Amino acid sequence: MINVILQVAQVLGGDNSDIGMILQTLFSLSFIIYLFYAQRIQAMTMLRQVEVTLRKVKTIKDEGRRVSIEMVKEVGKPERDPTPDVDRFLEQFVISPVSMDPAGIMGKLDQLINVSDYTNEAEVKAIAPQATEAEAHNIENLLGAAHALNYYYKAIRHFYLLGKKTMNVYIIMQIHMILPLIIKEIEATSSAIQAFRNGMPIGDGVGPLVVSKLMRGHELIDVARETVAAWVPYEGRTLILLKAKGPGGSVGKPGAGVAKILGDDKKEKKIKAVIMIDAAGKLEGEPVGEIAEGFGAAIGGIGVEKYKIEEAVKARDIPMYAIAIKQDISHVIAPMVEELHKATDTALESVKRIVTERTQEGDHVLVAGIGNTMGIAQ
Amino acid sequence: MMMTEQNTQIPSMSLSWTTLAVIVVIGIFSLFSLWMGFQALSSDRPEQSTYYLLTGTVGFAAIGYMFFRTKAVTTRKPDVPKVDVVTILECPACELKRVRDFKRGDYIHKDDEPCTRCEGNMVITGIHRRAEPEKKPKQ
Ligand SMILES: [Zn+2]
Repeated sequence: MINVILQVAQVLGGDNSDIGMILQTLFSLSFIIYLFYAQRIQAMTMLRQVEVTLRKVKTIKDEGRRVSIEMVKEVGKPERDPTPDVDRFLEQFVISPVSMDPAGIMGKLDQLINVSDYTNEAEVKAIAPQATEAEAHNIENLLGAAHALNYYYKAIRHFYLLGKKTMNVYIIMQIHMILPLIIKEIEATSSAIQAFRNGMPIGDGVGPLVVSKLMRGHELIDVARETVAAWVPYEGRTLILLKAKGPGGSVGKPGAGVAKILGDDKKEKKIKAVIMIDAAGKLEGEPVGEIAEGFGAAIGGIGVEKYKIEEAVKARDIPMYAIAIKQDISHVIAPMVEELHKATDTALESVKRIVTERTQEGDHVLVAGIGNTMGIAQ
Repeated sequence: MMMTEQNTQIPSMSLSWTTLAVIVVIGIFSLFSLWMGFQALSSDRPEQSTYYLLTGTVGFAAIGYMFFRTKAVTTRKPDVPKVDVVTILECPACELKRVRDFKRGDYIHKDDEPCTRCEGNMVITGIHRRAEPEKKPKQ
């Protein structure tokens, strides 16, 4: 091998000095080393980038845990140290039901979510006995964010350590490829810590905020768990406004709420349309707070609530209009930006326009504001 | 405890001093190579200078790349973002509007402090992040 290089160098260099020879040999040698070890070098470079992210995530998830414990101590005033309880919560998991035979999976998921919701609520009450209802909900949200950060950290660490152990470029690539997206999600979750700690309205709260503007001052009726509705007259119509009950952080059960309201109306058939307002992910390049109108059930999540709404609306065969307020993933659980706050007024105008243009006087219209109502009362 | 266990599980991979040594070695090598290149250029064998100059330039390019990379790593401080949030209060009676810093316990539609102009109570009508001055888009 070296002979070959020397020959090549000789051909290239002609009758030059010894130093020139050495330089050229080194040059060729480094080229050949790179030829064989390029992948390893690449793997190390990628691993280093993963490591940097891992450190960053560790700082953020430790902060999430610290703030959670601090908040539980501060507002909950527990008799014993809540640290083990918080740590236990951070390791909590939910096993999703088998989906090979998907019939009836919605019922299973619904039951599973209800059990975890009720259990977590009871646990938060137990570790933070002095917290108000709103504060307890905010603690639940904060613990949820800390849980997500802990999970991200563990997932990245898993790939990092596995990659380091095997030095397999394909294992490292799996995590490296999606690193920018993961970083974005982690940054989004980390900005939730401040919002959840203080009970500030978040980007996801645009739906409830729009509805709350119409709802204020009217009599409220509990229609489902943590979900309230109000019957409000508007331009000869009756708007049935539905949102999660604030100002504690909660998304409520809009599916159950819509199903109940539509079910109660089964005989009279007064409700002629459903309008849903929700935050929607914007594409890169779209402005924050842009309003888009469309059709269908505007609601995210794992799909249980969406399923319930679709079923209830299908049973009645009435149109379902959607208003989306566009925002970036980094806005969804961060303190609400001004653009989104302004966009709620525009969205309110859209609601009013849809009501006057697409329904008749005397009709009832169900308007549901979907999202987390933290920091937004009614 | 669990958390301290996790600490020890991240092996450190800090290469800063080795990187520095490599940079110094490559630097000397490249400088020497460049010097040889210029020597050859002014001597009777100008055709050889190409190789020397190429080697030297590649060396400096490598140094530049390494320096850029380590800098990018060290200057990105991992921190948890904190933003300024403001509360907007409006008096429903006299339409006085006031903006103040967010306080814990504030929420939209809350009857808050008494109005400074009339008898009524001010209501919180908005809570949002304080508009930040235009930032340069990060890549
Ligand atoms: Zn006033």
